[in-house]
Amino acid sequence: MRELSSRASGDYARRSARKKGPGGKSVYPHLWILPSVTLMVAIVVVPIIDLFITSFSQVSFSGLRQGFNGGENYVSVFQDPVFPRVMINTVIWTVAIVGITIVLSLGIASLLNEKFVGRRLVRAALIIPWAVSLLITAVIWKWIFDFRYGTLNLMLQELGIIERNVNWLAQPVTSFPAMIAVGIFVSIPFTSFVLLAGLQAISAELYEAARVDGANSWKRFVYVTLPLLRPTLTVAVVLNTIYVFNSFPIVWAMTRGEPLNKTDIVFTYLYKLGFEERQLGEAAAVSVISFLILVAFSVSYVWFVTRREG
Amino acid sequence: MLNAIRAQRAFIAVASFTLCVVLIFPYAVMLLTSLKSKDTVYSIPPTLLPEEWVFTNYLDIWTVVPLRHYITNSVLLASGSTLLALICAIPAAYALARMRFSGRRIYLYAVIATQIFSPIVLLVGLFREMRWFGLLDSLWALVLINGAFFQAFAIWILSGYFASIPYSLEEAAWIDGCTRLGAVRRIVLPLALPGLVTTVIFVFIQSWNEFVVALTIILTETKKPLTVGIFSFFGRYDIEWGYVFATSLIATIPVVVLFLIIEKYLVSGLTSGGVKE
Repeated sequence: MRELSSRASGDYARRSARKKGPGGKSVYPHLWILPSVTLMVAIVVVPIIDLFITSFSQVSFSGLRQGFNGGENYVSVFQDPVFPRVMINTVIWTVAIVGITIVLSLGIASLLNEKFVGRRLVRAALIIPWAVSLLITAVIWKWIFDFRYGTLNLMLQELGIIERNVNWLAQPVTSFPAMIAVGIFVSIPFTSFVLLAGLQAISAELYEAARVDGANSWKRFVYVTLPLLRPTLTVAVVLNTIYVFNSFPIVWAMTRGEPLNKTDIVFTYLYKLGFEERQLGEAAAVSVISFLILVAFSVSYVWFVTRREG
Repeated sequence: MLNAIRAQRAFIAVASFTLCVVLIFPYAVMLLTSLKSKDTVYSIPPTLLPEEWVFTNYLDIWTVVPLRHYITNSVLLASGSTLLALICAIPAAYALARMRFSGRRIYLYAVIATQIFSPIVLLVGLFREMRWFGLLDSLWALVLINGAFFQAFAIWILSGYFASIPYSLEEAAWIDGCTRLGAVRRIVLPLALPGLVTTVIFVFIQSWNEFVVALTIILTETKKPLTVGIFSFFGRYDIEWGYVFATSLIATIPVVVLFLIIEKYLVSGLTSGGVKE
């Protein structure tokens, strides 16, 4: 009823209907987001609060809280001789994967931005590592890097590059870079598609104008492509950094962080602490630390995204 | 000039060929190894191609591991998670696209924030909560967790689609006597179909591929989804690579086919939030 009368009375009503819609009361929109908010509070907010409380508590083997113990969990995490190594690994892991992925993806996106026979095939091939479960891809690479039967040693021997098989995944010097390579492998598809979308938005006339002005293809890339691609590049860097936090399965399948935690990143370290050694209090402390780092990162991301929305 | 064009063509051909080979290589290894007999898998020196093509791995895995259960569990948990994410995301995305309300901005921030938190950061909290709910070792826990973490993506994509539908179409429906809900059902949802399909498939795949939460929550062999099931091959004394890859291939094919369907929509949807022209 209300909607019909307001509808009839012209432009102002139309604008207010735009805000409220038919039957618009002010609490109405909140009903629409209620299911989503409920789920978010139950499964995201509650665990976050619990995590903070648990990180300051004594926790039993089965995960029961047995009262507060001050900052003891944090102290023992920081006293763990392995912890600094784990954090350094995590930084190397993130910077290497994001950096190299962006550079390679920029090349791939430029390639896909050209018209050529078989482009659809390349696009389809690029989809596969994105679609397949990270765990499965990591398991396959573990097999390819296998000491005795692995395809990599076989090929390198055939090509005469190595004489004896290399035990890639047994020593951190080779296993950590190997895992980073897998991390790059799985990050490339998404990044390339994002950058390709950015490239396709750049008008061809700009390149034509640069060409007329005598710019060669390198100069066109540096002075036309890169500046116009900057917002897309920022998105790609930020999203990639976030997705790198999901790379648990790579390490878990390939080395489990061994030997001696030397190839652990913070998430495998936290998992072992919580669910193998059953130190849930300390694991909660590590989670809170990584959570705070993520929040700092997220705030800059949200700021970036909403700044464009205005 | 002609030479330059020819050189560029040759470069593109070589580059795209190399790229394809690298991208497909591990999955080709998976396929080939799954078709090798056990003796060939463990032969020294190893071979790239199977000596004889055998399908025994594909037959054996059904009895070696509870594969039927793995598949059923993956289908159930992925469908459940998708349904839950959609039930919550559709009205929320509509509200974000069409309504102004108090707390809208905070809600938007919260949505973006959950997109960022990987469940592994909250794993200890999630584990304790699910234990408290009595949902440890239950697929329901995975449905709740996946649904909650992937609804952000669904809201993101869908509100973009909803916002792109002309408001006048809805207004016309109201004049014709539609309720707001009716207009959403009859006008908005059908027009946003590509967005809905993209969201359904993407959330389904993400839940299907999810590993770490399932690894933590599910303990019973017959309740494991495919990803955790594949990983349990590693618990044994020696890894049966033929079985690992046969199972992996079964887990992979539906996902890749589904992904190829939505690729076009997915990329434009994902980037529309961050990059606006």
